[in-house]
Amino acid sequence: MQPATPLPNSLIVTAAALLLPLLAFGVIMLATRSRHRLSAAISIGAAGLSLLAAVYLLVQHWQMQAPLIFQAVWMVSGQMTIPIGILLDPISLSMFAVVAAISFLVQVYSLGYMAGDPGFGCYYGCMSLFAWAMLTLTVSSSLLQIYIFWELVGLASYLLIGFWFDKFSASEAGKKAFVMTRTGDVAFLLGLVLLWLQLGTLDIPVLTNPATVGAQLSPGMITLTALLIFGGIVGKSAQFPLLTWLPDAMEGPTPVSALLHSATMVAAGVYLFSRLFGFFSLSPTAMAVCLTIGTISMLLASTMAMVARDIKQVWAYSTISQLGFMLMGLGAGSLFAGAFHLITHAGFKALLFLCADVFIHHCGTNDMFEIGRQGGRRLKSAVVCTIIGAGALSGLPPLSGFFSKEMILGHLLDSGHPVAFLAAAVGAFLTTYYSFRLIFIILFPRDSGDAPPPESHDGHHHAGSEWPMTTVLWCLAGVTVVLGFFQTPLHDFLARAGTGFQAATPAHHSWLPVAACLLAAVAILQAWFEYGRKKARQIGWVEQIPFLADLFGQRWYLDRLYRYLLDTLVYRGVSRLFTANDRRVIDGALDGLGRSTIGLGRVIDWVHGGMIQYRLMIMVAAVIGLILFIGWGG
Amino acid sequence: MAYQLADFPFLTTLLLCCIAGLLAILATPAKHTQAIKIVSAVFSGLTLVISIYLFIAYDQQAGGYQFVERVAWIPALGIAYFNGVDGFALPMLLLTGIVFFTAVLTCWEMELRVKEFFALVFLLVTGVFGLFMSLDLFFIFVWFDVSLFPMYLLIAIWGSTRKEYGAMKLTLYLLAGSALILPAIVYLVVHSGAMTFDLLVLMEGDRFTPAQQRIAFFLLYIGFGILAGVFPFHTWSPVGHVAAPTAVSMIHAGVLMKIGAFGILRVGIFLCPEGWQYWAPLMAVLATCGIVYGTFVGLNQTDLKYVIGYSSVAHMGIVGLGLSTMTIDGLNGAVFQMFAHGIMTALFFSSVGYIYDRTHTKAIAELGGLSRIMPRATTFFILAALTGIGVPCLASFWGELVVFMSCVRVYPVAGALAIGALAVGALFMLRVVQKTCYGPPLKKFAGLKDITAALAVPRIILASVIVLLGLFPGLLFDMINTATMQLIGLR
Repeated sequence: MQPATPLPNSLIVTAAALLLPLLAFGVIMLATRSRHRLSAAISIGAAGLSLLAAVYLLVQHWQMQAPLIFQAVWMVSGQMTIPIGILLDPISLSMFAVVAAISFLVQVYSLGYMAGDPGFGCYYGCMSLFAWAMLTLTVSSSLLQIYIFWELVGLASYLLIGFWFDKFSASEAGKKAFVMTRTGDVAFLLGLVLLWLQLGTLDIPVLTNPATVGAQLSPGMITLTALLIFGGIVGKSAQFPLLTWLPDAMEGPTPVSALLHSATMVAAGVYLFSRLFGFFSLSPTAMAVCLTIGTISMLLASTMAMVARDIKQVWAYSTISQLGFMLMGLGAGSLFAGAFHLITHAGFKALLFLCADVFIHHCGTNDMFEIGRQGGRRLKSAVVCTIIGAGALSGLPPLSGFFSKEMILGHLLDSGHPVAFLAAAVGAFLTTYYSFRLIFIILFPRDSGDAPPPESHDGHHHAGSEWPMTTVLWCLAGVTVVLGFFQTPLHDFLARAGTGFQAATPAHHSWLPVAACLLAAVAILQAWFEYGRKKARQIGWVEQIPFLADLFGQRWYLDRLYRYLLDTLVYRGVSRLFTANDRRVIDGALDGLGRSTIGLGRVIDWVHGGMIQYRLMIMVAAVIGLILFIGWGG
Repeated sequence: MAYQLADFPFLTTLLLCCIAGLLAILATPAKHTQAIKIVSAVFSGLTLVISIYLFIAYDQQAGGYQFVERVAWIPALGIAYFNGVDGFALPMLLLTGIVFFTAVLTCWEMELRVKEFFALVFLLVTGVFGLFMSLDLFFIFVWFDVSLFPMYLLIAIWGSTRKEYGAMKLTLYLLAGSALILPAIVYLVVHSGAMTFDLLVLMEGDRFTPAQQRIAFFLLYIGFGILAGVFPFHTWSPVGHVAAPTAVSMIHAGVLMKIGAFGILRVGIFLCPEGWQYWAPLMAVLATCGIVYGTFVGLNQTDLKYVIGYSSVAHMGIVGLGLSTMTIDGLNGAVFQMFAHGIMTALFFSSVGYIYDRTHTKAIAELGGLSRIMPRATTFFILAALTGIGVPCLASFWGELVVFMSCVRVYPVAGALAIGALAVGALFMLRVVQKTCYGPPLKKFAGLKDITAALAVPRIILASVIVLLGLFPGLLFDMINTATMQLIGLR
């Protein structure tokens, strides 16, 4: 970036869109925290302007041919130069718009949701921080910059998940989210450092250029670094085996879950993969691992969602499985399929969480059976919006999810991954099943409650006006209905991303949409049979097999395993061993040294006691010794 | 090496400020505690102003030693009062100024033997300032000891939790260190072929054979390393932190531990580059041990100050790791981390000091829910904890990042282990934050007051430095870089 040339408009607009949320965060935290309305106004104003900027950029660059890069040196140390910059290309622009839109809508929604909370101002401060970190992440020009904001996204979600830190479960969930994603980030950082050592730069255009990377890195090194960076993605996007933090993360305020599950935090992982798609596709091993992990996570999370009773938990599991689905699409080699599903998912998942919040808000419970009994179906907008969202999640035409799911399924079939395709079909079936299970439970309540309703998470929030909430719901629902029809323009737009984008061949299998719809219909029928019809006992087939119900309900015992490992290995194992070493061995040796010095002093002191008889005795002994020595020697 | 004598003796003025403060405190009657505190604040503020001025006035383009003053002291032995600062010393002077000033402000509520306390603190800091600016080996050693002795009294009289044991342990440890440093210095001077203690003269040419350098460097590394909390000579540090009163913990962890690392750099690495090269793998191993070990031991602690003490061990391990890489970036990162860690622990101890003053306990199990009772006070604590975890946009992140990047190149395994410790480090800090700040507010602490604006001043200063450096690391890196380039260029 030369200061002499006039700055292009796009740069100024982007920089403003990035700095406004940061400014809002600073102002709210330092000055206006205690003035609730003002804080909310500042934060929403900043988010709104960012959204306008994002739309402007999208319109401005819709026909862009080459990516725009602006970079400045941030820090120099010896041979190391750390740049900071903005990279505008179709991938980042589309994600930028999604993030700006969702965070704006969620902040507006929160006006109603958080009203009356003593931490209202602080909440909006953290939301601004979240928006800033995620927006900057999307347009980062180097991998290191992505890492920096990646960590900040983690920090913001730590603060927001544990927002009601009075509750042990909330602070525990925040800690768990931070530490588990950090575990993945360790791999990410290591991969990043290795890449930097090999290439000398971490600029994304260089990394995604197959020619330069292939020339400078050995295939083994590419695979190693790709897998390490993928470790960070696994942590952030809550994939197997680091998936257990996401279901707990619903301890935060529900709008936070909506944001976290759709456009920020977890989306960052998949976004990074699409950002570095050109790099990952150089390593077949990494792609295969990605496909496998995606498949496993999708299936595991789907099974967990089948037995959950908590409405937020069902959507949380579905997030994991949908992210797995995106990774499958990406791993199968289609950038567009994964990125498109990421965009559509952001819309309908935010919608589903906000609807869930309306139910929780009115019925004072998270348990869906209880919500049904309390008359959840009377909340017309929420019910209709949930059906729209769930339909999109299940891939029913003509909702947005239908189009993006078709893309992924088609690609799995085309790219010769029959096993993954079958798994995806099973996953799609399960997804439809558990989505409609939830809907039928809410629509057709039964009085025979077998379990007492669990404690409400958010029951204590009953305040605020309704209009921001309903407006936002209908906005998102509208997007969900319409977005699918923009597949072709979006595809053309993303195809201009240049390097790393292979022209996605549209699925030619005309039978596929029909088959997928049939599959979904069967799943809905099954859900209807078990939960919807008049005589249904509302007990799923899984719950009739105790072993499976237990396994799924306990999240495949992953949580317990990690807890056990953490307790035995870390706390009781290494940590206690080291502590004992510190106390006993190191300090013990020192104290021993001290005591022996004192002891030696005593001995010398005693020798110098001036007692004549001892001196005499020693003298005699010495003389005898001398005589003996001379006698022997002579 | 060429240097220009300064027109005005800024460095001596800095020292004189401390000594004048000390005399002024001694002249004030003991019963006027408020007056003593004001005098202390004014003089420590003066030192801060001078150190900031020096930092800004230093000509980074020219580099080298500036503000040099030289007066022959004992010409027969080649001892001179010889001061000068470069890109290594200036950040340390600034750090000392900041920590000193904020530490004085932090103990504004102190009641017990105020006069003696502040007098000893001034004496201690005089030694620290002197050491950072001195370019004469003899004076370096003298300042080193000047800064150690007040520590014993400060802990033994004003401390808590096993204070006699802590004070004794700390003093013996550090004396053992100085017992290694003195022979090393004498050994070097004797073998230099020039009867001088002048650091710059001793650096010139190849005065020492590799074998001599190895011996001397080892002694210096262990001697100064004890003060830097190098594993396995670290156990004095948590015990000392816990026993010391708040202000002393701040100076101790914030500045005194830096003396150790600075000594390794200024004396060991400057004079014995080949010894450095020889022992670097050992340094890397011990530093990595310190990082991993400190983190894991910290997980198991029950006392708030012990936790911070072990986090210091881990963070000073990162400094050691940077020094062991023998690269420009490694040294830059190490010195940056020294500065960042100094500010961070000062903030840590300062905020824990407030919590301790109000709740009268440091036991983690007895604390909880403080964020609802004193939200502002705990914000500082949480900020310090996040800095300790290495969250970006807070100072420590850059030091750690640069050290890790250069370390993976030289010692891949050590680098990987140190990066891996980050995850455990997060668990370690967040666990403490969760147990003290979060949770439902406890009844027994219900009446406690949040921190007032006046008492918050030192914490705000420290927090703003952390954020400022987190956002603009270049401010410090550019300065350090001038010295590193020169040092590595020389070798």
